[in-house]
Amino acid sequence: MFVSRIAAISLIVLGVLSPTAARAQGSALRDVIDREIKASWAKEKIATPAKASDPTFLRRIYLDLVGMIPTYEETTEFLKDTDPKKREKLIDKLLADPRFARQQAHAWDLAMLGRKNRLVEGTIGYRNRERFRQWLVKQFEVNEPCDRIAAKILQAEEDGSQLFFAANNNTDEMVTSVSRFFLATQIQRAKCHDHPFEPWTQKDYHGMAGFFVRTMVVEVPGKPEITNQKGKQYRVGEKTVGEVTFTLPAPNQKPGEKPAKKDKKDGVPIRPKFLNGAELTEPEPPSGFVEPKLKPNEVPPKPAFSRREKFIGWMTAKDNPYFAKAAVNRIWAQFMGRGFVHPVDDFNRQNEPSYPALLKAIESEFVARKFDLKWLVREIVNSEAYQVTDIGPATDALPKYYERARIRPLSVEELTASLHIATGPGVESALKSEPSAQMLQYLGEPTDGQGRFQGSLSEHLFLHNGDQFRGMCRPDKGNLPEKLLMGAEDWNAKVERMFLSVLSRPANSEERERFVKYLSVETKDAKMASQRMEDAMWVLVSCSEFRFNR
Amino acid sequence: MKGMLATAGGFAVANWGALTNSQTLAQEVRRSGKRCIMLYMEGGASQTDTFDMKPGRPTGGEFRPIQTNVTGIQVCEYLPNIARHADKLAIIRSMRTQSVDHGIGGYHMHTCYPSSQRFPHPEIGAMIAKYCENPESDLPSFVKIGSTSGIYGAGYLGPQYEPFVVSDDGRLPGFANPGVSAEIQGRRGELLNFMEQRFAEQRAGEPFAAHRTAELRTIRLMRARQAFDVSAEWERAKDRYGDNRFGRGCFTAMKLVEAGVSFVEIGHYGHDTHIDNFPISKANYSVLDPAWGSLMHDLHQRGLLRDTLVVWTSEFGRTPAINNRAGRDHFGRAWTIVLAGGGIRGGQHYGASNRDGFEVEENPVSEGDLFATIYRTMGINPRVRHYLGSRPIWATPEGSRPIQQLTGK
Repeated sequence: MFVSRIAAISLIVLGVLSPTAARAQGSALRDVIDREIKASWAKEKIATPAKASDPTFLRRIYLDLVGMIPTYEETTEFLKDTDPKKREKLIDKLLADPRFARQQAHAWDLAMLGRKNRLVEGTIGYRNRERFRQWLVKQFEVNEPCDRIAAKILQAEEDGSQLFFAANNNTDEMVTSVSRFFLATQIQRAKCHDHPFEPWTQKDYHGMAGFFVRTMVVEVPGKPEITNQKGKQYRVGEKTVGEVTFTLPAPNQKPGEKPAKKDKKDGVPIRPKFLNGAELTEPEPPSGFVEPKLKPNEVPPKPAFSRREKFIGWMTAKDNPYFAKAAVNRIWAQFMGRGFVHPVDDFNRQNEPSYPALLKAIESEFVARKFDLKWLVREIVNSEAYQVTDIGPATDALPKYYERARIRPLSVEELTASLHIATGPGVESALKSEPSAQMLQYLGEPTDGQGRFQGSLSEHLFLHNGDQFRGMCRPDKGNLPEKLLMGAEDWNAKVERMFLSVLSRPANSEERERFVKYLSVETKDAKMASQRMEDAMWVLVSCSEFRFNR
Repeated sequence: MKGMLATAGGFAVANWGALTNSQTLAQEVRRSGKRCIMLYMEGGASQTDTFDMKPGRPTGGEFRPIQTNVTGIQVCEYLPNIARHADKLAIIRSMRTQSVDHGIGGYHMHTCYPSSQRFPHPEIGAMIAKYCENPESDLPSFVKIGSTSGIYGAGYLGPQYEPFVVSDDGRLPGFANPGVSAEIQGRRGELLNFMEQRFAEQRAGEPFAAHRTAELRTIRLMRARQAFDVSAEWERAKDRYGDNRFGRGCFTAMKLVEAGVSFVEIGHYGHDTHIDNFPISKANYSVLDPAWGSLMHDLHQRGLLRDTLVVWTSEFGRTPAINNRAGRDHFGRAWTIVLAGGGIRGGQHYGASNRDGFEVEENPVSEGDLFATIYRTMGINPRVRHYLGSRPIWATPEGSRPIQQLTGK
């Protein structure tokens, strides 16, 4: 027993811990994670970082699991709890909170549809997007396995689930989006020429397109409360026939040139082919089959043989070489900042994973546990690696070795909800809140092409002068600033409450002194006092400490 | 870099201590490099009725050409002001472009890439802002006057280079005006400064620094916002520029580049003349000509033209053929764009269309070639490479070539 443990540890240090070894040892995944991450610190000569303080952990875990900061009551309760297992307890509580499903739905929805898709943003289809999110919420509420969620999105049969296809309404976009989100590969790079890093040819791309070429999205009339602005809802159907055709270069044709007219050839149909796998064997369509003439907005009859169904079966099979890895990497990145493969949708031979053994270990366990999302999240956030400090000299927002917590800006949804918590309206109000169009415009996408945060002038002008932030900070209608202004406690207590409510931590002595001084001059003039209260609240919701999850 | 501290990573961090000191703007920032003003004709401007006239041909239309101050260059009779600046103009009469509808054309002519790529290409103003901005300037580096010409955004360059949009007569958006008095602004700024400084002491993360830098720039912008307020001077200039939104926009643009803004775009609405091309175009030119002409005049007078490139462009041209409603339709096969200033060799035509204007006769110029020419003039490497995730992307598509005859380099 003793000997075998030593052996296992030395294997870990070498970075070749096999997942079966991990299970044989009976280790929880969280311990496997910590062993691997700590081994990399030793190897990279990185001093072991401290653990995040209780308030830092508290704010981080609330934002990550339920998408908003903790309330004053939640904060004080946690901070005064002396149970050594209080972090684990809190994690279990938040995983069981209905807000967890909502937060997961937001994360998936954003990763799949982004911000700038015209179909799903703005006036054209906001109801669809909300329905899609609601559909996702239902999946996460019952902790539907990830492979099942993926299958259902591609089947697109359940009400509300169709938006992914509707937003990618042609074969090329479907292939690109499906492979990026579910397989974490950039197969579209092989569309016009063979893939730069992979042994994939144009035939592989078009082979994959064969699974989706018969799929079509139609708009059908629907009940007003569930339709888009045109009074329609989306349905996804599949035809019985239809092929991808592909034209090889004509003889003497140079890259980038059109072929001479006499050399032009008709395209040849390409058989559907699984990525890095076999061609699909399929029955011939019934002889003499003619696709029925579809009226506009009509869904074709369900085909006897569905190519898309075959693709789904292949993708979610236990031994699929892409799907589980891609899912694990995404979930890891959601909580740890940097995926083992970064960016998360670009597995290729020139972009090897940073912790291959750990990725493999998590992947095997995840498959063995039937793609149980909640289990995986619980293991990750219980690890010391997740609970690492936010303090340190590293400048990177997403440290490669996880020696400091990742820094990410709050999404506008998180920001809006958190403002409702910080300024007093509370959780109920936060859940009903929606980011305004201005919030989406000025704070919706605050990063450059590689995920680096950039502050824009418009964001800050909006913070300074737009009425949304200032409006919530202004003492009014029983909100926190008004309560503090009217309350009978002394200024020290008021400042303390303010910090705990907005920044989820007590004020230190220097801050208390500064804020008390700021607030307690001019108290005789009610208007001045109110303005100063607004200012102080505004400072707390405008500073970096509030803007980021760290 | 006054008021800024450079870190080892080359990242400029706001020196918060200096924030509360009063800062002067304007005068000292004029030493910044090149600037660009883009006049964007929304709807598709007719080449045949402006700079590539076909008198006596069936496609010629109603307007007559007039002489300019350069022998051999003629322009429309309704562009008399511009005619006096022909020695500064490089007239490209051989634009051959791919996207001939408004949405896709606007995208293509702002990014030099087709929108069908569905890739977040930055628009030209963002690229120029990134490479030409003066980091010390209190003003934003990329200003759009009005959103007539479309907002395509900073794409993969990131929100730091998003256009700062002001209303189409050049006035600031409401929320750029301080919501609180200068006194309150100052004191709460100090409190914020105190919080940020303490927070940053132990936290070197770049996002925090980026947040503080943007905050600092915003405060400077609010202090400098009077640069956008040209009302006093406008009273004296409006007769020359034309007392309308476009005229005022051009005047504001001139003032902004003078104050150090790197890129200003102004849209001029209404060139989509499918019906009644001639009366509508005549009315358009009566607004365009005095504004653009005065802009050229003032830039020249103030010694700004040498470093300021002026681009007259559109999403596409218009058909030489006149349709049965006396209109001209969308046309990308042979149309005209004009460059001036910023080192461009003026007083010349580049390329030519054929007799009736249906095809390019010589030296076709693509979207990429045009952008490469502009970038070269601005001192930007046309093939500068960026990344979206791990995917490399170039400022202009492969094969784009700057027009040496115009850039001289």
